[in-house]
Amino acid sequence: MDLRTTFATQAYDQARASTPISPDLGTQANDTGAGQVFQEAMQSLAATVQNGENIARASMTTGANPHALVTALAQTELAVETAVTIRDRVVEAYQEILRMPV
Amino acid sequence: MSGFSETMGIAASGMQSQTERLRLLSENIANADTPGYRRKTASFEPYAANTMPEGSVQLGRVQLDQTDLTTIFDPSHPMAGPEGSYDGSNVDLVVEIADAREAQRSYEANLRVFDQVRQMSSALSDLLRR
Repeated sequence: MDLRTTFATQAYDQARASTPISPDLGTQANDTGAGQVFQEAMQSLAATVQNGENIARASMTTGANPHALVTALAQTELAVETAVTIRDRVVEAYQEILRMPV
Repeated sequence: MSGFSETMGIAASGMQSQTERLRLLSENIANADTPGYRRKTASFEPYAANTMPEGSVQLGRVQLDQTDLTTIFDPSHPMAGPEGSYDGSNVDLVVEIADAREAQRSYEANLRVFDQVRQMSSALSDLLRR
């Protein structure tokens, strides 16, 4: 029994050595992998939130167009909601992998 | 996503235009008794600048209504001419009120579109969350 587990460990080590462990998350130059997509999405989210804050500040201080304020806030809400939902799904998937019986 | 935000922008431009229209209407109504005042009108035009999504609307140049001014007979008025009358404004309150109601209805329609887009996008997010 001990012997068999040792063999299994060795086989696992060999298999691990032969296959690359880390998937390419946008490490290559012209790669459109998951990492880059997430990065672009987060940059877009940050820009949307920043725009909403700028318009909110302008609306409070200089009395800017209230319609622009409502539009910017609705877009920010939409973007943040989408980001939170995607984050929840990613975390959920990760936890599902962690619960995998080894 | 971009369709949602573009729709929001277009609906907001419609609301903005109706607000400016109502502003001109309020000028007209406030100046209904001003001698020599010509009512202001403005037409709706497609938005020219590229800061807004395509299909947005904006108010064009303000124009003065060139219909004849009403002649008011009042010899005691300081502006009355030799025949005892002076030029009033050409504002018809009935027309202005009807225009105001139209602006309100159009604003509400744009507001409904805005709310509809928000509901649609949040329904889509809910679908993802399940």
